[in-house]
Amino acid sequence: MPSGVRSAALRAASIAALLLLWWAGSQLMRAPDVLPGPAAIARTIASDLASTGPEGQSAYFHIGITLARIAITFAASMLVGTAVGLAMGISRTLEGALMAIIPLLLTVPTILMVFLAVMWLGFSEAGGLVAVMTVVAPYVAVNIFEGTRAIDKSLIEMGLTFRASRALLVRKVYLPQLMPYIFSAFRYAFGMTWKVVALAETFGLKYGIGYMFFFWFEQFNMRQVLAWIVIFVILMLVLEHGVFARLESRAFFWRDSAARHSPA
Amino acid sequence: MLRSGPGIITVALAILLWQGASLFFLPVVFPGPLTLLNRMIEIYSDPASFRVVGQTLARIFEGFLLSMIAGIAFGILMGLKRDLEIFFDSWIMVLLTVPAVCWAFLSVLWFGISDAAPLLTIVLIVFPFVVINIWEGTKARQPDLTEMAAVYRAKRPLLLRKVIIPQLMPYIFSSLRIALSLSWKIALVAEAFGAGNGVGQELINWFQDTRVDMMLAWGVSFMLVMVAIDLLIFRVWARRVFAWRPQLAA
Amino acid sequence: MQHEPPARPPSPSAIAVRNLRKDFLAPGGDRSFTVLDSISLTVDPGEFVSIVGPSGCGKSTLLNILAGIESYEAGCVDVAGHAGKANSQPRIGYVFQTPRLLNWLTVRDNILFVLEAQRIPQPRWDERIAKYLRMVGLAGQERNYPLRLSGGMQQRVAIARALAIEPDILLMDEPFSHLDAITARKMRLDLTEILATARPTILFVTHDLAEAVFLSDRIYMMNTKPARIFKEVIVPIPRPRGPEDSKVLDLEKALVSEFFAAVETKA
Repeated sequence: MPSGVRSAALRAASIAALLLLWWAGSQLMRAPDVLPGPAAIARTIASDLASTGPEGQSAYFHIGITLARIAITFAASMLVGTAVGLAMGISRTLEGALMAIIPLLLTVPTILMVFLAVMWLGFSEAGGLVAVMTVVAPYVAVNIFEGTRAIDKSLIEMGLTFRASRALLVRKVYLPQLMPYIFSAFRYAFGMTWKVVALAETFGLKYGIGYMFFFWFEQFNMRQVLAWIVIFVILMLVLEHGVFARLESRAFFWRDSAARHSPA
Repeated sequence: MLRSGPGIITVALAILLWQGASLFFLPVVFPGPLTLLNRMIEIYSDPASFRVVGQTLARIFEGFLLSMIAGIAFGILMGLKRDLEIFFDSWIMVLLTVPAVCWAFLSVLWFGISDAAPLLTIVLIVFPFVVINIWEGTKARQPDLTEMAAVYRAKRPLLLRKVIIPQLMPYIFSSLRIALSLSWKIALVAEAFGAGNGVGQELINWFQDTRVDMMLAWGVSFMLVMVAIDLLIFRVWARRVFAWRPQLAA
Repeated sequence: MQHEPPARPPSPSAIAVRNLRKDFLAPGGDRSFTVLDSISLTVDPGEFVSIVGPSGCGKSTLLNILAGIESYEAGCVDVAGHAGKANSQPRIGYVFQTPRLLNWLTVRDNILFVLEAQRIPQPRWDERIAKYLRMVGLAGQERNYPLRLSGGMQQRVAIARALAIEPDILLMDEPFSHLDAITARKMRLDLTEILATARPTILFVTHDLAEAVFLSDRIYMMNTKPARIFKEVIVPIPRPRGPEDSKVLDLEKALVSEFFAAVETKA
């Protein structure tokens, strides 16, 4: 069968197999609290979405808060990280100075950062923001910095022989070469951001998906814990693959070389 | 990294600023470098602390080893067979998307406060990471070499051993390093939730007691241990093993 | 750019180089060595002049100096009468060994880039792009991306780009050396046709003596370490020429032994 159809079939089979495995596991471990099956979780999710949860807030509220936190902390980290990375690319002194500290920041475990942020800034949004930024921004900075070092100088030279102004060079030669690095930093930073947000919500922030994880965990409510995990996973999968992958392929379509043979 | 002038100055300045700032706060809230040093000495004067660190280290290495072995095997499989790749792609995606804290919760709900729970958490996070790395590395193998081996009628095991795996070495090596780094950070999260012992447990205990000084003392000292291990394995040992190909040791 | 005061009235040449010297610092930074030593050459308006020498002898460095992106230690460099005048820039088109196209821009936008850089008024852009793409045989390729074109086609775009600014001089640095023999031969033939229409002044650098003889009005031969010009040859063969014409092959034969003798002793 044609490869496109075959891939689609395999993917469908894959998801089906996963659900099947899950269901089989839930049947094997008969005590429902150990591994509720897909159907039970689906029902739980539906009822969560339809009703008001504990603390008097709807599920949509928690989801919304988490998404908002992710959006804000992600944007802040990307901005700061990119600015720092670019600055490091321009100034060798800054590069030397920061390359001494950044690896240190990258080594500190996330949980320590979250604990510190909560202990110093309290159970506040500021704490969450700082926790995310201290984890994600250095990572972005290093990525962008490496991008600046990978710029093809022969193209800048070419621009100079044609007397292109600095602004033109930055716009048309420098920045487009940074785009792949910005994008990859984007994707990884996004992945890191929501993980830190989930952790921060578990320990120190009120409301949000992470908060719900911990709430139901403390009550040993397996069904709810799994339900919220599934909600989170689906949301993140949609964002990562639906949004990012599409953006990326559209931005970089010029990279495909044609298979057809052209005469010289 | 510390070899540059600006680097040394920055670090020295940072430490001085830190010590200065800490004078404005209680040591339990914002400890300075000297306070931290004192606490660390307190901690490690007690031999029981070494047991705690040992527990965490054992977990880390178990989880890391399991993830590496399973991850490399699985990654090679996925890289070699396109059908397997497409099939398991979504499973790996799901594994990657679940945050560590969720696995930590689930593991505790399944296995209770035990050794199994943190181990499972570590493996569930590190395994997919290794799989992806090795999978991409396998896909990047040079087809001309495989073709050449086929012309000379090399059998599968020989092909794997002498043609494919050697091309994977840079990927294995780099994922080794990052996997270890990931393993110990996850271990701390997992222990915080469900081990009953270990450095992670210490961290959350002191967090709940709002003792920043003790928490940082445990945290920073453990970080130093892991950095030392990383340097030992990946600089010292690697430099000798890869003397013939220095770029791998970098 | 430094210059000595002219010892005689400004020459009518499009390019005039007198006693040019360029030094490089050895890696390690303590000693310098001379790459270009007392280079003197001229190119008259409308002439096609080649410099032939082994690879790595500094020919690219010479072109970079003429293009204004490389400094020099001594001597006088005059391009289109612009020596020493502050803020005046001769229009220079440069075709490199590799196309150096911006792969993320379409063919059209690549040419547009240099038109914008040279501050050519916007209303003229469309006609120039169309005209010069047609001249290099790539009419209709405006919306295509460089990576979808073959090596030869990419180099043609680079040539169109250089011609589109209607330069005072055209510098070409071994533009066909990275192409296969068949493509390169075709490109040379096409180049002579293009030049019959456009008539720019060209300084062409190559390691291929046969190519130089086929294409040029005059040839400077250069050897290496340090680079010096050791012979100047006029090519009196009338155009149009074929690459296998007997006159072309005879002249090449006559020059070959002398050329290789001079460059091989230094290799």
